[in-house]
Amino acid sequence: MVEAQPVDRVLPVGHLRLEVQLACESQSWEAIGERLRLAAPNEACTFVLTRPSVGHSRATVLLGQPVWPEPGEVTPTPYSLDIKGDYISRVMDRAIDEGPLTGIALIHTHPATEFGAGRGVFSQRDDWYEDRLFPTLSLGRSHALFASIVLGSEPSDVDARVWWRTDQLWVQPAQTIRLVSKTLRFLETPHSTWADHADPDIMDRSTRLWGAEGRRRLQNLRIGVVGAGGTGSLVLASAAMMGIGKIRAWDPDVIQKTNLNRLLGATRDDVGKKKIEVLRDFAVKIATAKPFEFEAIDRIGTSAESLEQLKDCDVIFSCVDKLAPRVPLNDLAYAHLIPTLDMGSWIHEDGGRVDDFMTHAGLLAPGMPCARCTQKLSPGALKREAQGVQRDAERRAGYGLNLTSEGDEIEPSVLPLNLTGVGLAMLQFMQLVMQLTPRTPRNLTMRMPLWDLDESDLDALSDCGCVNDVGLGDACNIRPVVPDPVPPSP
Amino acid sequence: MPAPSTLLEAVAHLSAASGYEFDVSDDVVPGTQLYVVYTEAHDLPERYTLRQGALGFRAPGMYPDASPEDSFFIAPSTIKLVTPNPERNSTDLNRASATPGFLPSSILAGASVLVFSWHIWDRFSWRPRTHTLVDHYTHCVRRFEQPEHG
Repeated sequence: MVEAQPVDRVLPVGHLRLEVQLACESQSWEAIGERLRLAAPNEACTFVLTRPSVGHSRATVLLGQPVWPEPGEVTPTPYSLDIKGDYISRVMDRAIDEGPLTGIALIHTHPATEFGAGRGVFSQRDDWYEDRLFPTLSLGRSHALFASIVLGSEPSDVDARVWWRTDQLWVQPAQTIRLVSKTLRFLETPHSTWADHADPDIMDRSTRLWGAEGRRRLQNLRIGVVGAGGTGSLVLASAAMMGIGKIRAWDPDVIQKTNLNRLLGATRDDVGKKKIEVLRDFAVKIATAKPFEFEAIDRIGTSAESLEQLKDCDVIFSCVDKLAPRVPLNDLAYAHLIPTLDMGSWIHEDGGRVDDFMTHAGLLAPGMPCARCTQKLSPGALKREAQGVQRDAERRAGYGLNLTSEGDEIEPSVLPLNLTGVGLAMLQFMQLVMQLTPRTPRNLTMRMPLWDLDESDLDALSDCGCVNDVGLGDACNIRPVVPDPVPPSP
Repeated sequence: MPAPSTLLEAVAHLSAASGYEFDVSDDVVPGTQLYVVYTEAHDLPERYTLRQGALGFRAPGMYPDASPEDSFFIAPSTIKLVTPNPERNSTDLNRASATPGFLPSSILAGASVLVFSWHIWDRFSWRPRTHTLVDHYTHCVRRFEQPEHG
């Protein structure tokens, strides 16, 4: 960028969060990289609008729409770029128009030259230029996050850093770039803290399937598991045994005797203890990752604080037994680019006889229809759930029938059905992280009594948040859901 | 638990759009997660024995992700037709029943209200990003234009 200049000060390195990361929808990332690399052997650049996703221990800059230079706005050479003020002004205007949380990222290339491959590391010249550019870009925009990225000539060779403003401008190196769609990939920067499994022999049989790279990915992933009941306990045990290195899990309940027939890891001695703590102790015993970290949180996983902690996760498992908490988890998947595996089982009985039951698991991620589009989360079903003991009241009230339905509203739940749903979800998780097959399925539903495994053929609706809110991050209003204990009926 | 801000904002919008001062209950209906959206003085059709009464409906705390109930109510529950409906030979409002327990005690003293079973959202799907309480209200009051039989 511009002619070489002396570095007259060290970059103002600060601490935004323990981890800083960038994330981008995969196809957008590929398209940007491809277009920039077309300029080789010259350098090339573009600005990209960003949104923040600030969690408890991780801040992520979500890369959104590129604002490409017009002819004449950038003058490239193999070793430098001259970015005109008009281009910078145009991009700043766009960011202002998009709202106070919108930041700007500068992506530029170091292409291969006659001296060899271009390296994806910031040069002294980059430091000098960005130390002058970002104070201007971030002026008056303290709610936004900014970023700079340099692409080497190899697609996986990349460096990135995050800029933000308080009373002054700060910068922190980014550790990884998360690329999210039907699959989940990570690009590690030179500042990555990822490490391989400390005792890889234990993972031999699974490494034969997904390779050392897959093992490394699992070892360094942080998954969030919301709900530790019949499905959540199975997910936790599976994740611990598969070699996932970091698990954060939520459940506020204590173990009751009636949970023991489907709560993997709990025994009679655990009745009265906190579910999440019992399952944490079990997971630590069976975990194969090394090191292994389990954060047990005895709170509802969709409270405001929990939603912030979920933003630290790379993948979320939605194991809740109600519909309402699925709303924020569904929206988080798209707005914050955190793939979420949603699963659930349903048993319908009529007069004491089970006549219909099903279990389903689906991946919620950009490029996949969301739970609303696949009709797993419909306004009518959410309304029925809110009606509680007065379920279908509007059907009865107009005809003078009793408002309150009969029964105690507690639905059956059985281990084999949960096992099947979790099995489907874990297979989809493997596909998400390891890309074992060419195709990622949509929502899968095992239906009984048909014994039919059905894949949803529903597309995303064009006006849905899973299309329009992708990558909006903290600019997307996701409401916490903390179900009140339902007051007793009169 | 007070109604969430999303619902409060939607009710304010409904008041502005309808010209009636709508309010929302502070409490949910016991045993449910439903809030009551209501106005105490709403015009009623000439064929009713009262020309004004309370009118409202129930909406979940998860609104707009969750749709309002496909029904509405008027009060007092003693409202009748001025002249008997010839087809049914009755002054009762058709498919509207006096329903105790429909409101929390903080609203209209928890009185029994006349609930209209109104299946409008069977024909049009509620779309959280498109529909508002104004649409719901508009659908509800169209009931007053319908004949008193069926």
